[in-house]
Amino acid sequence: MGALGHYLERAGIPTTGISLVREHTEVVRPPRALWVTFELGRPLGVPDDAAFQRRVLKAALKLFERTDGPLIADYPEEVPEPADLTGWACPIMLPGTQAAAGSAGTLAAEVDSLGAWHGLAVRGSGRSTVGVSGLAMPAAAALVAQALDGRFAPANLLKQAIDDLKAYYLEAAAAFPTPGTPAERKAWLWGETAFGRALLALQPKLAAADDAGLRLLGNLTLVPATERHRLNPA
Amino acid sequence: MVKRLSELPEVEARHLANIKCPTFDDTPPLAGPPLAQRRVVLISTAGLHARGDRPFQPGDATYRVIPAETPAGDLVMSHISVNFDRTGFQQDLNVVFPIDRLRELHAAGDVGSLSAVHYSFMGAFDPAMAEQHAQQLAGLLKRDRVDAAVLVPV
Repeated sequence: MGALGHYLERAGIPTTGISLVREHTEVVRPPRALWVTFELGRPLGVPDDAAFQRRVLKAALKLFERTDGPLIADYPEEVPEPADLTGWACPIMLPGTQAAAGSAGTLAAEVDSLGAWHGLAVRGSGRSTVGVSGLAMPAAAALVAQALDGRFAPANLLKQAIDDLKAYYLEAAAAFPTPGTPAERKAWLWGETAFGRALLALQPKLAAADDAGLRLLGNLTLVPATERHRLNPA
Repeated sequence: MVKRLSELPEVEARHLANIKCPTFDDTPPLAGPPLAQRRVVLISTAGLHARGDRPFQPGDATYRVIPAETPAGDLVMSHISVNFDRTGFQQDLNVVFPIDRLRELHAAGDVGSLSAVHYSFMGAFDPAMAEQHAQQLAGLLKRDRVDAAVLVPV
């Protein structure tokens, strides 16, 4: 991000920016940066809090008044920690909770069972972020099941299908009654769903694939750093 | 919440500490007119684009064009990284791409005008590869009389 600040400002376009990782910004030294303490993925801080977001954006814009850079301004406001819902359990009985990892039928049934919840989520929010791969969710799930059998789709398509499924699951779970926190829903995806088990089972197969794109997917862009403890040690 | 890396859980801190950042000679911030007279563009590095546009791929240092009138429900994210939260974006586009907040500031007279087109890169790019695309983008922004670019990471 900071690199773009250098390139654009040098080309005559004044820039300001948000910094999520101060240590990175201290190295890159873009012309102007507002450092915030928010979670990665939430540069404006709080979803559905227009006033909070507006304060952050105004603080970033205010830096245009300054020409004493490179500068990093520290944004003073923090996001309140989410309420502790220890003991949250997924309120929805999914079809394959007890089934073996990667069963194609289980995954397909699970995807199907979440359809109503996803529909509810979309009706509630008016939008969905699913749709990078262009595949319907059953077809995306079929690609995952085939990959578990060693029949790999092209790496980019498989990655897009998996990311669409992740969005589908998390959007659906946000519509559950007592949906819990985002962290709890992510823990549910990785710890309690057939899809999560399928991804964990798929990781070593991708990491050992002949194709460099599939290896990249398996090694870097499948399982988040925070979830890699769930993988079986090689 | 990301505070200093030293305050994060070890696995997250290690991941972030391992990301190699480019270094540059200092770039002096440019002076300009008051914000209420400037034309503002949003430039995200969240890998955003309209559904149906080309998804970002590993090593992709190009950008996608996001017309200002693009409905929130038409925007998807194909950033390749899995190491940031996406549930905020799923809940509210503006927590990643504050287009409605920018419109409000314009309506209130805080900013002069808004670009008709906004842009997104995918942050996991090689800076050397992105430079040519950023320079080309700067040419577009100048022709659009943009004099305030807000860079929003993810």
